[in-house]
Amino acid sequence: MSQATLRIQKISGHPGPVPGAGTQRDLQVCKLVDVTTCIGCKACEVACLEWNGLPYATTSFDNTYQTMPETTWNFWNLIKFSEHQQENGTLMWLMRKDQCMHCAEPGCLMACPADGAIVQYDNGIVDFQQANCIGCGYCIAGCPFNIPKFNSHTKKVFKCTLCADRVAEGLEPACIKACPTGCLHFGTKSDMAGLAEARARQLREHSGFANAGVYDPPGVGGTGVIYVLHDAANPEAYGGLPKDPRIPWVVRLWKGPAKWVGNLALAGGLVAAAVHYMRFGPKRAPEDESRKGERP
Amino acid sequence: MTNGYIDIKNTDLMLIMGGNPAECHPCGFKWAIEAKRTRNAKMIVVDPRFTRTASTADLFLQIRAGTDIAFLGGLIRYAIENNRVARDFLANYTNAAFLVQEGFHLPEDGLYSGFDPATQTYDKSTWNYQEGGPTSSTGAAGDPPAAKAEKPAGLPPNVAYDFRLQHPRTVYQLLKKQYSRYTPEMVERITGIPRADFLRAAELFTSIRKDGDMKKVATIIYAVGWTQHTFGTQIIRTAAILQLLLGNVGRAGGGVNALRGHSNIQGATDMAGIFDILPGYLKMPNPATDADFKAYVGRITPKASKPAVWDSFNYWSNTPKFAVSFLKTMYGAQAKMENDWAFHYLPKIDRNYGWVQIWDEMYRGKVKGFFAFGMNGVMIGPDSQKNIDALKKAEWVVVCEIYPDETSEFWCSPGITPEEMKAIPTTVYRLPGAGFAEKDGTFVNSSRWLQWKNAALPPPGQAKVDQEILARVFLKVRELYQKEGGKFPDPILHLAWDYTNPANPSLAEVAKEINGKALADITDPKLAQTIKAGQQLPGFAWLRDDGTTSSGNWLYCGSWTEAGPQMARRGTEDPSGLGIYPNWAWSWPANRRVLYNRASCDLEGKPWDPSRAQVWWAEAAQKWVGNDVPDFNVNSPPKDHMGPFIMNPEGVGRLFVPLGIIADGPFPEHYEPIESPIENPLHPRQSSNPVVKKMATPADKYGTPAQGFNVVCTTYRLTEHYHYWTKNNPVNVELVPEPFVEIPVELAEEMGLRGGERVKVSSARSAYVAKAMVTRRIKPMQIDGKRVYQIGIPIHWGYRGISEDAGRTAKNPANRLTPTVIDPNAFTPEYKGFLVKIEKA
Amino acid sequence: MSASRTIPSAEARAGGILRYTFGERLIHWIAAFSYVYDLVTGLSFWSPYLFLGAAAAGGGPTARFWHPWLGVLFAATMVWMYAMWCGDMATSDADRAWWRARRHYIRNEDEKLPAIGRFNYGQKLFFRVMLWGIVLLLLSGVGLWLTDSIPWSLRWLRYLAILVHVIAALATMAGFIIHVYMGTAMVRGSFTSIVSGEVTPAWARMHHRLWYEQVTRPPSTRK
Repeated sequence: MSQATLRIQKISGHPGPVPGAGTQRDLQVCKLVDVTTCIGCKACEVACLEWNGLPYATTSFDNTYQTMPETTWNFWNLIKFSEHQQENGTLMWLMRKDQCMHCAEPGCLMACPADGAIVQYDNGIVDFQQANCIGCGYCIAGCPFNIPKFNSHTKKVFKCTLCADRVAEGLEPACIKACPTGCLHFGTKSDMAGLAEARARQLREHSGFANAGVYDPPGVGGTGVIYVLHDAANPEAYGGLPKDPRIPWVVRLWKGPAKWVGNLALAGGLVAAAVHYMRFGPKRAPEDESRKGERP
Repeated sequence: MTNGYIDIKNTDLMLIMGGNPAECHPCGFKWAIEAKRTRNAKMIVVDPRFTRTASTADLFLQIRAGTDIAFLGGLIRYAIENNRVARDFLANYTNAAFLVQEGFHLPEDGLYSGFDPATQTYDKSTWNYQEGGPTSSTGAAGDPPAAKAEKPAGLPPNVAYDFRLQHPRTVYQLLKKQYSRYTPEMVERITGIPRADFLRAAELFTSIRKDGDMKKVATIIYAVGWTQHTFGTQIIRTAAILQLLLGNVGRAGGGVNALRGHSNIQGATDMAGIFDILPGYLKMPNPATDADFKAYVGRITPKASKPAVWDSFNYWSNTPKFAVSFLKTMYGAQAKMENDWAFHYLPKIDRNYGWVQIWDEMYRGKVKGFFAFGMNGVMIGPDSQKNIDALKKAEWVVVCEIYPDETSEFWCSPGITPEEMKAIPTTVYRLPGAGFAEKDGTFVNSSRWLQWKNAALPPPGQAKVDQEILARVFLKVRELYQKEGGKFPDPILHLAWDYTNPANPSLAEVAKEINGKALADITDPKLAQTIKAGQQLPGFAWLRDDGTTSSGNWLYCGSWTEAGPQMARRGTEDPSGLGIYPNWAWSWPANRRVLYNRASCDLEGKPWDPSRAQVWWAEAAQKWVGNDVPDFNVNSPPKDHMGPFIMNPEGVGRLFVPLGIIADGPFPEHYEPIESPIENPLHPRQSSNPVVKKMATPADKYGTPAQGFNVVCTTYRLTEHYHYWTKNNPVNVELVPEPFVEIPVELAEEMGLRGGERVKVSSARSAYVAKAMVTRRIKPMQIDGKRVYQIGIPIHWGYRGISEDAGRTAKNPANRLTPTVIDPNAFTPEYKGFLVKIEKA
Repeated sequence: MSASRTIPSAEARAGGILRYTFGERLIHWIAAFSYVYDLVTGLSFWSPYLFLGAAAAGGGPTARFWHPWLGVLFAATMVWMYAMWCGDMATSDADRAWWRARRHYIRNEDEKLPAIGRFNYGQKLFFRVMLWGIVLLLLSGVGLWLTDSIPWSLRWLRYLAILVHVIAALATMAGFIIHVYMGTAMVRGSFTSIVSGEVTPAWARMHHRLWYEQVTRPPSTRK
């Protein structure tokens, strides 16, 4: 959607200050996924496809109820199904809705070189602006959650927008609207964090899940999508949710210190050449007797 | 459902069995989650597979398909043994204290008293209450001898009883004796649920009645996993007994709750989508007994049967009013007292005309033609190949559908060569129908709500709404009768058809007709209210048996009143917080949300749990009032002891079902499915249901373990698909593209099979090929000392659809495998728990 | 391939000595163009403050489209140059002596430098930096080019590619700055040599005496 309709707090590939920064801040929005009450019905998957008008894909049987192995450029919301054998022998069938986590410190945005191709609105939503995207795929490297997906025909990258268009109009995201069990909630980050913590406490005290907790990883500054997990100590069991996600150190180095060291080195090289020229001047060959006339 | 979807949020405990609501009723399942979240309600799930529902359960038990009665019987035994029963409820609101006739005996050998092996039926005369009054607890001495002298054909009006429940022939003592055989060890042998796990479940389920405390409530939720057996009705009966025993019926958060399999299957049932009833559950006339209207209503109108000291509302005593009003709707002015209200225009049935029977007769060449509207006949019945072969013998088939389907293309189903095709004489007429979003009308959901909906868009192209197609067929048939006469043209010629547009009646008009209206000015002297001729009736209490009212279905009377379509209401007020929402749509009967809600109160009329007060006796007003509409005679004070189960002539809930209303026994007994890996451990010589008859054509084959069919197979739906038409929709196909067979890891290892490889599953009837989904969600079981595997097959694919047309499936319907045997009460086929063998394909 | 191929033309011209054949010049300028394009666009992906390069190169998406293809082109020219010059680029004893005396070269005290062949050791180093640089850039560049094809389980390849691409690019840029400075501003006559192909005998004598002696020796005495 257009950047103009929402204020921006972070912007990719942009020289100078963020346009519009310093204006009144909106409330941080947040999606709460209570994994313990998800039944894997995929209503959110369908709602996402339909609201965003995503073209259908051909899938194939893969020994699972999961629609496809990973999200794709035209499938932004995927429930990951995992059969998980607990230590006491009982089986759990974990279903986790996977989508963009809308990190407070987005690795995709940090990695993106294209001016304004990735923005973080004041409400915390991280959104791709395909009009500005140059198709480099650096965001793919920047993301610790494997979310941005490349369309090799249009050479653009796509992902969940947290329905920024709906949210801007005061509506909840399409997935939230479609969820039949109420396992999805939408509201301000602080409200959702409170709700999540209360639910996790209920699971610890009444449902026998001693390790129940909230997934809101600090390594990326917290996320705009938070999970309630039966076992917060073992997020990998939920279809590979990273335990301590961070922007890859290579990306942080590349977009942080390395950039300035490199820039300084380049500038230094140019300056050194100039200084050398001024100090020592050019090397001139002596006049050549046999030469006929000057050449430029 | 006795209760409703929203009401599940009021429960303390859910037993979900024979259903997978998270998969098949995800929107209703919201309220199960709500109960967990807001009340810390516990959930027990018992299923042959670890399902989506199981993923949210507090306790999951894997059961062998078709052994639910053994499990529930074990729970009944546990509750009685541990005194976790609702004593007052049991003694006063059920027939526990009623005495059963002498001569009745329990099925220790697998058979109740009165079995005739030649006809495979029971003489049910001993399945009755004893006539008489109060009885001493010790037995013989107190029995009035009169009871033996004369056996009434119906229920005795004055039932013998022992309110202390001690007499050995009280229903309670018989119940106790019946289920004393269902020990945890026996449950383990039959169901495969380890004893310790069973005891955990039994302890948890009965914990709501710990120390006789009546505050807590448990609900039982089921679906077609219970009905689709040769003893399906009895499974549900066992659940009802358990709920009556624990005092969980009529109460918010309780009940026995059937989650129906389609958005409007409840409406289809209410409106007589079954051969043996008329709308509103009026029984069909029988040519043998119902010579005239008087004989008919005499037979189908029950008389109160109760202890003399109790009262019984016996609401079905109003049957003549419902029947006459129905006939007035059907035949209008042609239904007159002089002609028995045109009773003779009604068809009469002498035998089973159930689904499997229809196809069997078509297979035997006895059915000339077939209309298929809104269903895919080849696919939904058992033994698809038999169904295909049956259609080859029909002269014509009319299919009204929104997609090309398997039924309309049976003649080119896989395996039929072009030469064979040429030899098939059947003429197929395909009519383009309208989809659900292209029609207005109502859905009646599992909660018994009639909800009016508007059409979202017009039908495309030449597609027509059903009522237009049916009306035009009817008008043409009537025209032919007018022109050519016939043996008995009156029922057609005299059918009331007074619609504004006869060729396309508006459904609003039909809905008003079903509600019914006054045909003359009628006055209720108690209410001092008069309804003028032509006005819509406000409720079924106004129905008359003198021809002054009409109503197409008495249960729906009140749904479209002078105040407008009650079913279109969308009020979201819920003053009680119990999720009653009295102004949302309209719930039959009389907008009651929980049936039998008088039972939510104690004998004095005070709610068992004041925090969930549904109705109560208002002493000052001398009336029953409440948050819900009382399902009771509101003027009957508690001291009169009118039973809360007003639709039973006894006024109380039936632990014991008298007189063969249930064909296979007054108490449920565990029988093995027709195809079972073991002999019934309770009585090996009577392993399966004695009154179930197998079909007899060459197509009807049944397998045994000795023939190598030793894997238990069950069939089911997926949340991503809806029966056999979403396979035509790209989004659904994207979510689950191909058919599969769910196979336990251990079995796959034995077979050297990996997930995604093709397997061939064969039953005695046919074979089915699909890819294997190797899973840990089905575990091998120990059944009576024998290692038994279960596998599961989703039903959604056939030979027409996106994946089918793209050649990505083996083009075989899952029902090729299922057997043609049916439940003797509800005529439902046994789709769950039959035998197969499995090999790599 | 070797210096001997320069001889016929050298004799054909009076006065000037042919230092680079037409083929050599052409390949140099193809390499130069492709490298500069990738330098400019690469820098615009490197820092938003340098995005003007991508703007000049047709805009972001266009720059992103051509950058890998011109990288491939540059790699191809490097392969060609390697085949052409690998003999000339071998390190000799003279080079080692020259490298020891490089301080004089930097300070423009060329008279104190030992005589060397067609290329000095600095040029040879530059050639090697560019050669190894392009190997690394190409390998890592493929990883970045087809980044969406790398499965999540092998995502370390993506990080490695970034690291290698950045380091290799910076190394080639260091060499490139020196190369351009020397070839244009510092060593007078060298820019014309890569345009016209000719140098004066004095230039040749001063900068590459051994090569000068070799190419001006009568043909009969040549190997």
